[in-house]
Amino acid sequence: MKRFATICFLMLGVVALATPAFALRISIAPDHGNPASPQMGDRLRFHTAIQNDGHATQEGVLAWISLVETDSGKEQPVDLEDWSAHKAVVSAALLPGQTVETIWPMRLIKAGSYRVVVSAMSRNGETLTASPFVDFTVRQKPVVESSRIVPVALGAPLFIAGLLIWRLRENRARA
Amino acid sequence: MNAVAIIARKEAGDLLRSPRGLSWLLAMAAALSAFSLLLISDAELSLLDNAEAVYGMCAVIMGLGALLAIVMGVDTVAGEKERGSLVPLLVAPVSRDRILFGKLAGIAMVWAAMYLLALPYLWAAGGAGQNLAEGLVSLALMGTPVVLGFGFLAMGMGARLSSTRSALMVCLVILLLAASPVILGPSLRQTAVGRIFDWINPLSVALNALDAVIIDSQAVVSQWLHWNLTLLFSGITLWFARDGFYRTAL
Repeated sequence: MKRFATICFLMLGVVALATPAFALRISIAPDHGNPASPQMGDRLRFHTAIQNDGHATQEGVLAWISLVETDSGKEQPVDLEDWSAHKAVVSAALLPGQTVETIWPMRLIKAGSYRVVVSAMSRNGETLTASPFVDFTVRQKPVVESSRIVPVALGAPLFIAGLLIWRLRENRARA
Repeated sequence: MNAVAIIARKEAGDLLRSPRGLSWLLAMAAALSAFSLLLISDAELSLLDNAEAVYGMCAVIMGLGALLAIVMGVDTVAGEKERGSLVPLLVAPVSRDRILFGKLAGIAMVWAAMYLLALPYLWAAGGAGQNLAEGLVSLALMGTPVVLGFGFLAMGMGARLSSTRSALMVCLVILLLAASPVILGPSLRQTAVGRIFDWINPLSVALNALDAVIIDSQAVVSQWLHWNLTLLFSGITLWFARDGFYRTAL
């Protein structure tokens, strides 16, 4: 019986060593200066701390921010092109117990409900680590409407160009 | 019809009816269209409030108006002199003051045309927001003395230098200098020198008043000091133009 228990203990140890541990841990929090009810054009900041909870150094740690629209019927990942120029952070090595703190700025482009998450992976890690979600809602604000601008922006020069052509033809006819 | 009206109609008509003048207006409309399209296509600009968009549009309109007034102002004396059409005008039985005011009225009519051209653009940019009407009133009140002032300056410079190219060059450099706080951004205006320059630069004075009315929703009448400063600028440049015109020799 004692021998059987020893074998089981050894087998569990081997399994534990073979199973990849969640070495990285990410915490996320919105900045205290963020507006309580943000609207389009406002800027938000999120603070993350990526910590190596494992026993081995994590090499080539890459963390990136993702944004998802969560409005009913509009659920989709958001292309951060216009929202943020700071989309990822790289750390060459993260020693056991070491933490990398990052601030993620973001410009709010479109109204709606959103969920932000920061994910991280390392070169020698085997799983993706993600932060908890942070939800926020962006209020609509009155901005320039393209439906008004386009007809005027195209119509006015065309009208003057028409006048110019008519005047040139008239001058030619007189000559 | 009196001599002033005849000369004014001729000056303005040259711009508003001739292919040359229509080409200028077309260029102005194209510039306003380009700015309008930037407001909706550029991610940063598309997030501007309606009021900020109207303010930006007003600044562009005033800049283009000043540019047009400079070109016209230089042409009224130096251009006519180079073309040989100034002498017949000066020997006509009309006082120099009437000729001068006819030419000045021509510049004013062209600015009025520019203002009318800008109205649909301003409506398109700010029709859905606040302070559009106040913006239009402010643009008329502040923009008119500034634009006419640059026209008078160009006229006086053209009369003194007697060369279209030289006068145009000098006036464009002055306009560029006046527009530098707008081009270089607000940080330069925080310094003591920047603040002094802000108060003696007519373009800055007018733009600050427009900012206060359109963006900060202040009353138009609260900008009386700015308005008086722009009037002072146009008064000084009017004297400069009149003096230069009277010095113009046959």
